Amino acid sequence: MTRVKICGLMEEQHVKAASQADAIGFVFAPSRRRVSIERAQELSRLADNGVQRIGVFVNASYEEIDKAVKTVPLTMVQLHGDETDELIRRIEVPVIQAFSIRTPGDVEKLNSSIADYVLVDAPGTDYRGGSGHVFDWSLLENANLEHSRLILAGGLNKDNVQAAISQTNPFMVDVSSGVETDGRKDEVKIQQFILQAKGDSMERTQEKTIDPVGFFGRYGGQFVPETLMKAVKELEAAYEDAKNDDEFQKEYHHYLKEYVGREQPLTFAARMTEAWGGPKIYLKREDLNHTGAHKVNNAIGQALLAQRMGKRKIVAETGAGQHGVATATICALFDLDCVVFMGEEDIKRQQLNVFRMKLLGARVESVTKGSGTLKDAVNEALRYWVTNVEDTHYLIGSALGPHPFPTMVRDFQSVIGKETKRQILEKEGRLPNAIVACVGGGSNAIGMFHPFIEDASVRLIGAEAAGAGVDTDRHAATLTKGSEGVLHGAMMKILQDDAGQVQEAHSISAGLDYPGIGPEHAHLADNGRVTYEAITDDEALASVIEMSRLEGIIPALESAHAIAEAKKQAQSMTADEILVICVSGRGDKDMATYAEKLEGLS
Amino acid sequence: MKRLAELKQAGHKAFVAYIMAGDGGIEKLGEQIQHLQERGVTAIEVGIPFSDPVADGPTIEAAGNRALAEGITLEKVLEEMQRFDFDVKVPLVIMTYLNPVIRFGAERFTQEAKKAGASGIIIPDLPFEHRQLIEPFAKQHELVLIQLVTLTTIESRLEEILKQAEGFVYAVTVTGITGSRDELAEEVGAFTRKVRDLSPVPVYAGFGISKESHVDMLRDDVDGFIVGSAIVQAFHEGRIEDVEPLIDAVTAPHSV
Ligand SMILES: Cc1ncc(COP(=O)(O)O)c(C=O)c1O
Repeated sequence: MTRVKICGLMEEQHVKAASQADAIGFVFAPSRRRVSIERAQELSRLADNGVQRIGVFVNASYEEIDKAVKTVPLTMVQLHGDETDELIRRIEVPVIQAFSIRTPGDVEKLNSSIADYVLVDAPGTDYRGGSGHVFDWSLLENANLEHSRLILAGGLNKDNVQAAISQTNPFMVDVSSGVETDGRKDEVKIQQFILQAKGDSMERTQEKTIDPVGFFGRYGGQFVPETLMKAVKELEAAYEDAKNDDEFQKEYHHYLKEYVGREQPLTFAARMTEAWGGPKIYLKREDLNHTGAHKVNNAIGQALLAQRMGKRKIVAETGAGQHGVATATICALFDLDCVVFMGEEDIKRQQLNVFRMKLLGARVESVTKGSGTLKDAVNEALRYWVTNVEDTHYLIGSALGPHPFPTMVRDFQSVIGKETKRQILEKEGRLPNAIVACVGGGSNAIGMFHPFIEDASVRLIGAEAAGAGVDTDRHAATLTKGSEGVLHGAMMKILQDDAGQVQEAHSISAGLDYPGIGPEHAHLADNGRVTYEAITDDEALASVIEMSRLEGIIPALESAHAIAEAKKQAQSMTADEILVICVSGRGDKDMATYAEKLEGLS
Repeated sequence: MKRLAELKQAGHKAFVAYIMAGDGGIEKLGEQIQHLQERGVTAIEVGIPFSDPVADGPTIEAAGNRALAEGITLEKVLEEMQRFDFDVKVPLVIMTYLNPVIRFGAERFTQEAKKAGASGIIIPDLPFEHRQLIEPFAKQHELVLIQLVTLTTIESRLEEILKQAEGFVYAVTVTGITGSRDELAEEVGAFTRKVRDLSPVPVYAGFGISKESHVDMLRDDVDGFIVGSAIVQAFHEGRIEDVEPLIDAVTAPHSV
């Protein structure tokens, strides 16, 4: 994981914009970015504890350096002059020694440095007379270098940093002029640079907070019958391996682009913005995915993983049928055997999807037990998996189940949030003020939210299903009404009675009709990072009409819950704010329900 | 539970019966236990109904649903057991999914289970890795937490699990859910032999055991048998005498 240093900071807002960097740099040498020790001390207070404070010096005396180290205080010192080894030895904090690279001979010099880190730069950069040019990275590629002490600088920007990292594999990248506009630091460029440099690795840092057996705080774990433990452990290892394999990631992204049709637009909803009279509304268009919802992002990822594990049989559960269709589709594409369990009740209300699955060659098994909805379909899929575990992969459709499923499904769905972040920065030059997504098991929401979790300024709101109302006994509002419990392999929040029997959920939307919520959401609800609101059947239906008529987009019933919640949020937001809605799917599958419920619509 | 080790030493096989508590009404629980102990079973597993029993096949799931329809809860079962006015002569083991326990409170559960005369607990969806949720409380109240091992348990875990096993080890003899089977897979014998070699406590075979032919097949490789679906169904249909030959086939002295 490559670290990022933002150098030459002089203003408060830029220090804040660099909050997700690993290091910030203050220049004490003569330069247009020079700051006093006192100023550096003030700025340093705004950065998080974990961020390295690095002071940049050119031929300064030991006393001057030591004073800065103690006063700011600095955690590292970076030297750009002709400092002696003796001086380097005296400095109490780790030292970075800078070198200009012009020829292969210059590269050789790096190895003789006694400093903890070596920084490589193009000749004549800022501190000694300023070019900000890129040097020939290929000089480093075949050199005999310790990459774990290499810091790469010189002309980096958001567009070239990925290439620079993959070519030189440095410990850290250092940027200054590449995140400036007209000679001044630029918050958006700082954030974009960090995003580009870190990409997926940002998630890996966040994962460090999760313990190895897959808990999010107190939620998660692997609460499965012993027969499944082997499969779950194997999956854990296989996913860990695949996640870090560039070939796997490349293949996954290849299918997202060429087969699913990503990336999906972040559409500005002009008429909804006007009608609601509040913030600017943007729609993340998961409805445009092949098969009509976000579910396919996950189905592709898991199907590729299953094949990597040598499994060519797939079992899945489905509620609305979107995940079943996505799975059946991918199984057709990769010639995999596919069985989908679906509640009897859902089969009735999602007939179109049932037929689609059959047409795609999948076997659809009707589940008549319990309420004949998603929970019961998961039970049957788990039983089927227990019985056929040696050659079958359970392709779970939401951020649920035993570890590693919740993490893996989230990672595959994070493409939603990553694209959104990049797109909104491009369009608006800043992050949104709020994002709303619907939550069934929680996969589209966690995929959208995850890349924004660390951005404290972005409010995240999940919309769950209130069915006939949270005060009736016909709802699926797990976070509003549920409590801690173990279901389908994980500790999470569930709807249950006093005796610990799981209750039936109710929602007009088959995809939200589930009495549990994935473990990561349960954790995010507890720690307050995401707030969850409940939307009734009627509110969702009203939003279906509203969005259809204002934007010409007929949303899925599930997504309509997010739209209804967004409308409420918009009421207390202002015109200079931005609100993003995740439109998780399109409404084709719900047309029978719409026709029935909205009969007489004029 | 000590009795189980003694039985093994004496060269006798154990017969463990599983019943669904409250199937047919809570008053049936005491009757069934009495009946089974009179008929010579070694121990009894008292099953607690759960809404989502993913380790169970149709027979036990249906029995659980009948019990739930009678309003049976973990609490009611433990209360009923505390009211028994007959002599319980065999070890009772509570078999429950994890969620009712979490809801009831792990500490309170172990305390009440002890008061109810139980000697052990089996929780099929609590893997060895997460036993900390329950085990400390179980120890405190002198209940053993029975572990399951299966045909798919990988070698390294098998050793770990068996090293710490107490009471008896539940060797799952099918790759699948509970329920009667016509035949057991060939490799089961080798599996139970391996488990028995490594286990410090008796090893009982369960899941799918419903016929004398199963008992004959595994007799020399295990210390006992656990029979669930066949007993649950027989009680439900009022023909428990049909299972009695199976009990005898296991427990009758046998030339070794
Ligand atoms: C269009 C759509 N949105 C949302 C969901 C809810 O699932 P999740 O919470 O996993 O995103 C579904 C589930 O079927 C769906 O089809």
